[in-house]
Amino acid sequence: MSTPSRKRLMRDFKRLQSDPPQGVNGSPNPDNIMQWNAVIFGPDDTPWDGGTFKLTLTFTEEYPNKAPVVKFKSHMFHPNIYNDGGICLDILQNQWSPIYDVSAILTSIQSLLCDPNPNSPANSEAARLYGENRREYNRKVKEIVEESWKDDGEDS
Amino acid sequence: MAWREQSPERGSQVSSWNPGGPASHRESTLDAAESRPAVSVGEREDFVDAPKTSVSSISGAGEESLTSRPHTEHTVENAEQNPNLNTDSTPARPTDDQILAQENSIREAVAESSPFVGDKEPLAALRKEYEDGSAVFLQKISTLEEKYQAIRRTRGDGNCFFRAFIFAYMEDLVQSNSLQERNRVVTCMRQWKPRLIAAGYQELVFEDAQEMIMDQLNSLGTADPVMLPALETNMRDAGVSQMVVMYLRLLTSAELGQRQEFFSPFILGMFDDCPSVDHFRQRYVEPMGEESDHVHIVALTDALQVPIRIVYLDQSLGAAMAGVGHAEGAAVNHHDFVPEALQNATGPNAIPKVHLLYRPGHYDILYPSKSA
Repeated sequence: MSTPSRKRLMRDFKRLQSDPPQGVNGSPNPDNIMQWNAVIFGPDDTPWDGGTFKLTLTFTEEYPNKAPVVKFKSHMFHPNIYNDGGICLDILQNQWSPIYDVSAILTSIQSLLCDPNPNSPANSEAARLYGENRREYNRKVKEIVEESWKDDGEDS
Repeated sequence: MAWREQSPERGSQVSSWNPGGPASHRESTLDAAESRPAVSVGEREDFVDAPKTSVSSISGAGEESLTSRPHTEHTVENAEQNPNLNTDSTPARPTDDQILAQENSIREAVAESSPFVGDKEPLAALRKEYEDGSAVFLQKISTLEEKYQAIRRTRGDGNCFFRAFIFAYMEDLVQSNSLQERNRVVTCMRQWKPRLIAAGYQELVFEDAQEMIMDQLNSLGTADPVMLPALETNMRDAGVSQMVVMYLRLLTSAELGQRQEFFSPFILGMFDDCPSVDHFRQRYVEPMGEESDHVHIVALTDALQVPIRIVYLDQSLGAAMAGVGHAEGAAVNHHDFVPEALQNATGPNAIPKVHLLYRPGHYDILYPSKSA
């Protein structure tokens, strides 16, 4: 079945393969192009360095007019990421535009890791530590990075 | 313009959610609507302005006009409340998923009550909306009736300018069967392709949309041209209509990007939260559902070289200003957006064929009387 959204997702996938952005990767489920798995690597020279964070992207037939639902599957500690893995990021909500493709979404999330927006906290403890005790925040982030290696083996 | 004040800061949309539940969310959004005198909401389902989302996004409460509502005072009140909501980080705040679900249900409700592009209606339909409303509006509508015979409403989802514009433009082409203008605009769109790529857009993002518009335009002059009913059907189809709006947004954004020097004084002077033209493009042009302002209109008319006339229907009494109308009655102001290259031109291309009616926060299509 080829609908505009599926067609577009195929092209997103092609672009991701032919022009892979640094530090992110993603692919649709073999049996369902509306459901993607992705990995974001923690950017070098940041507390996130070395982390391999897994996400899912769930698209609807309204894509690209509607953003996909993107969730971290890896446990995260970040001011703009909810405990359930949900992400508070403008381009996934009211600043969504059809000009974004999967590649752009993943790259944006990657840059959110090191550049949180403390004004819209989704995790109040992370937001507080980020503002008040950066050393402790960074320590927690490093814990998360190590944790991300563990769940590599578990649910892939 | 209320939407600028009320738009949550970039990135803070989730916290601008009103935690009071569905009813109050909707209510607060309603209240945040720009003042638009009209009959009560319930009576005129077909004129309910959509939340910004027919498309995509999760909008913050109060981000944009939701529906016609005569309560001017609430606009101010709500604009003041929103900053408070923005800083509200109580645990009761719903998750993104809940907000999405909420937005979806509102969107569906509105989608059922108003098509992207409505039917052509006699101007009397407009008068009926204001029957119990302000005398200024009624006078202005009388003035309007001297020049215009009909109106076609568009869904008030923040994309109304783009939707009204392209429908009016294509309808005129279909009706007039003007192959010369068709050829011009098709060439113009073809030339946009490399420019869009140069502007940094992926071809995969816009090629379908461009094809869709071109297919319809190219059918003119063939044995099987797109006729008005087909145009209506297409532009009411979410797939087509949204793609077309997106395409126009890209053209507008790319035009802004290519002429930053020209546009930056307007943008930096009007939008406090936009430190640059690029920021404005990303914040107010590219996302679906962001309302259009003069800047958007100027950019789009330039991008496609299509002049537009905007007729303003508001509370102001500006009889002395230029406009349609007579000295004694309430003058209705209009403004012609004419691309620079056409400004000194004479001939049919320089005269706007697209006439839009602007009421604060919303654009509909107007049809000039045959005699006018």
